Amino acid sequence: MKTKLLWIQGLSCNGNVHSFFNYPALEQFLEDFSFIHHPLIDSEFSLEEIVSSYHACDILLIEGAIADDFMRGGKRIIDTILLYAPYVKKIVTVGTCATFGGIFKESPYQNSSGFLYHEEKKSERFAHFQDKVVSISGCPVHPDILVNTLYMLKENMALHLDSFYRPKEFFAYTVHNGCTRNEYFEYKVDNHNFGEKEGCMFYDHGCQAPFTHGSCNKILWNEVNSKTRAGEPCHGCTEPHFPRPDLYVTKKNMGIPQYLPLDVPKRAYLTLSGVTKAFKISRLEKKLIDE
Amino acid sequence: MNKKIKVEKLIEKVEGEATLGFHFEKEKISFVDIVFASSRGIETILKGRAAEDALVINPRVCGICGHAHLIATVKALEDCYPKIEISQKAQIIRELTLNFELIQNHFKWFYLTLLPLLGLKQKVSLASEISRIMAKAIACLAGQYPHNAYAIVGGVVSDPTAVEIVQVKNLIKEAIAFFERYMVQADTSFLLQCEKVEDLLAHQGDVPSLLHEVMRREWHHLGKSFDRFIVFGQNSYFQRGKSLKTRVQPHISERFIEVSSNTNSLAKNVTYKHKYYETGPLSRAMLLKIPLIKDAHRRYGDSLFSRILARSCESISLLQHSLGLLEQIDLKEPSYIEPFISIKTLTAEGIGAVEAARGSLVHKVVLEEGSIVSYEIITPTQWNLSQGTKEMPGIAQQAMIGLQDTDLAEFVFKTFDVCSVCTTH
Amino acid sequence: MARASKEEKKTTIMLEALKLFSKEGFYSTTIPDIARSLGMSVGNLYNYFKSKDILAKEIIKYISAYLGNELRKINDRDISAKEKIHNIVTIYFQTAQEQPEMIEYFLRIYLANREVFKDGCEGMICVSDFVTEIMIFFEEGVRKGELRDQDFFSAFGLFMGYLGGMVFLFGEKVLPEELDNYVDDISLNIYKALKSDEN
Repeated sequence: MKTKLLWIQGLSCNGNVHSFFNYPALEQFLEDFSFIHHPLIDSEFSLEEIVSSYHACDILLIEGAIADDFMRGGKRIIDTILLYAPYVKKIVTVGTCATFGGIFKESPYQNSSGFLYHEEKKSERFAHFQDKVVSISGCPVHPDILVNTLYMLKENMALHLDSFYRPKEFFAYTVHNGCTRNEYFEYKVDNHNFGEKEGCMFYDHGCQAPFTHGSCNKILWNEVNSKTRAGEPCHGCTEPHFPRPDLYVTKKNMGIPQYLPLDVPKRAYLTLSGVTKAFKISRLEKKLIDE
Repeated sequence: MNKKIKVEKLIEKVEGEATLGFHFEKEKISFVDIVFASSRGIETILKGRAAEDALVINPRVCGICGHAHLIATVKALEDCYPKIEISQKAQIIRELTLNFELIQNHFKWFYLTLLPLLGLKQKVSLASEISRIMAKAIACLAGQYPHNAYAIVGGVVSDPTAVEIVQVKNLIKEAIAFFERYMVQADTSFLLQCEKVEDLLAHQGDVPSLLHEVMRREWHHLGKSFDRFIVFGQNSYFQRGKSLKTRVQPHISERFIEVSSNTNSLAKNVTYKHKYYETGPLSRAMLLKIPLIKDAHRRYGDSLFSRILARSCESISLLQHSLGLLEQIDLKEPSYIEPFISIKTLTAEGIGAVEAARGSLVHKVVLEEGSIVSYEIITPTQWNLSQGTKEMPGIAQQAMIGLQDTDLAEFVFKTFDVCSVCTTH
Repeated sequence: MARASKEEKKTTIMLEALKLFSKEGFYSTTIPDIARSLGMSVGNLYNYFKSKDILAKEIIKYISAYLGNELRKINDRDISAKEKIHNIVTIYFQTAQEQPEMIEYFLRIYLANREVFKDGCEGMICVSDFVTEIMIFFEEGVRKGELRDQDFFSAFGLFMGYLGGMVFLFGEKVLPEELDNYVDDISLNIYKALKSDEN
């Protein structure tokens, strides 16, 4: 029996739709799940039909930030959510906007925020649905994370959810785990320049991977790569405060990074830094592939 | 009696929604209101932010053409410099990843948007397959797709080796094989040299099939507009300029772009020297004088037929061109050259123009000591869907005027490949 | 417990060594001298410190831990950066007066004899406890807007160079008054030099 999904959108760029669409075994997925409505894939019902009355659905997927006065298909998005939320088994927030408000929490609409959260603060609006919620943050979501979570829900497997209802199976890791530049981080080699394979971007170039929950360097993106492997700093897109100001700059106070690796005490980090900085490891000072 | 009726139709699956208000007179469409009811305020969100934050935020204007926004952003920021050096290697890489985005857009439009309008089922697996291939090619060079900000002021962040070149080459070849297998069953060399529509139509494939169906329904002359084309994004393939019918004028300037608000829609109108212009694959083909499209234009003008043909076939041209570009990459060049002064100190204005999937995309930025004072985004759909008046309609409006059926009008509308999120950023 | 006793013994040895280094000089003092002074056999002493160089390094780590611990108490207090500076100067000068051989060792032996410490005390690893606390003090001060953001070493040099210089002068018996008398002015000078423009 196909599990019935409804994918609705608030203030969204559609990034999650297109990221999901790149899921490698999409055909198989559509054998196991069906959409009563989806922004891209045709379905039995039109948008107008979906928003005007309830249609049987197992899981509600919400993408995009939610605002008081935002409309979809001629109805307020809030009303459409309330039409389905009481009856579905699970509510999955797809992407950072739907989870925390993301970029579009700053839009001029009224009370624009995620489904449960505005940044880290839980809002009253839909709090009574929290027991049904699973949050898949990310800007955009990683297709594997969304799909595998849906399968786990379909199979009634118990998920371990963190304090924001994100599955720890994916979000207990940090984006730092698995980055190919780890050695430069470990030995505090802070001579990173853009456009190079070498160097760690945490010290100067704003990389938030050590304190961002995610599996980007474990699962990889598009089956081949990740931002940090390619040389772009992680911008912390799975977290409540995305997007922080000054995304390519590491905020430092007297030379010390303001945001440290997740749950690492300041003294531990500074002592370790002090030790590693005392030594020069010539391999890490050179180009990886030299002539 | 002149009965004037207005029929409203909600158009969905255009990367969001739009509402078309059809005015009927004597059973024909006399005018169409094109209404976008929502806008997310990205231009406001950018105010006060550090210049380079725009690189991260602007791709989130759109989930299907965000990469074009990235490249337009970086070009606008670089335009703020009196002098800046970008290596040839970085320029090629940027052009390649943008090509890949255009290509997956066109395939998605064909297999997901167009087919259902002719009563056929979407080919989701095919669209997903080709989309994945192109996304992977982008990710090899840019880390991930969608939503990366790998192009920064001064170049690109990535440092590819021969491995990435080989991987990307193979992915392009896979995409070409896909096109040859499904879209038009013919050799690439034939496709690129084909000068006659009838030669193309003699082949098998989803594109000829669709065009045959369009002709069977006698729609191939419909959807004509003003035969005015404009292209701003110059690169190694696309030519900048405007064309009135086939008369090309290469010299255009962003200075003459006018943007104005609508009273009934949150999308803004765009004109060039007070006239509406079409932008997109058809425009680009007209500027490049591509023989096959010229032939279609000779027969059917700027009808939906020419539009469909141009958009469907642009992919194979871009794929072939990308193979050539890949060969030109000199890996020894730097990916990134640090600008002589940091953008964090700059007070300046800049404009960046690129060709996105749907047409010309223009970004305008004003910086004060490295912070964004104002940011303006003009998207291709804004050009095509500008709302004019009964006396002077916009491009898509003109294309729909005279039709008798709102379903057909929706078809014409969607041959412009509408992107709601871009239009209402 | 045997372990605590071993540590206590090591501390006793180190403190005695410090006294002898201060009185007789670093190079003149030998392991047998230290052992004799403690009433230990040389062999027994070697059980605790395998060589004079190792003893020298352990001593600097000990001093760093001692001062670091005092600084940590100050850092943990919920007081302003200005007050913390005063506390830090106070404890530094207090140590210089009550346990002069400690600060002396740092200034005259550790800093002046780098060749003794270069293997095993690379960079600042042997003074990391102390330096870490200074870093935490600076970082918090900047984060709270009380101190000006600047390069760490510029600020560190100002603070420590100043204090070290004053203690050096004190050791040379050049200062007319007790170190205590200089705490207020010196603290104010340091604060004024490091504070943020808004304060």
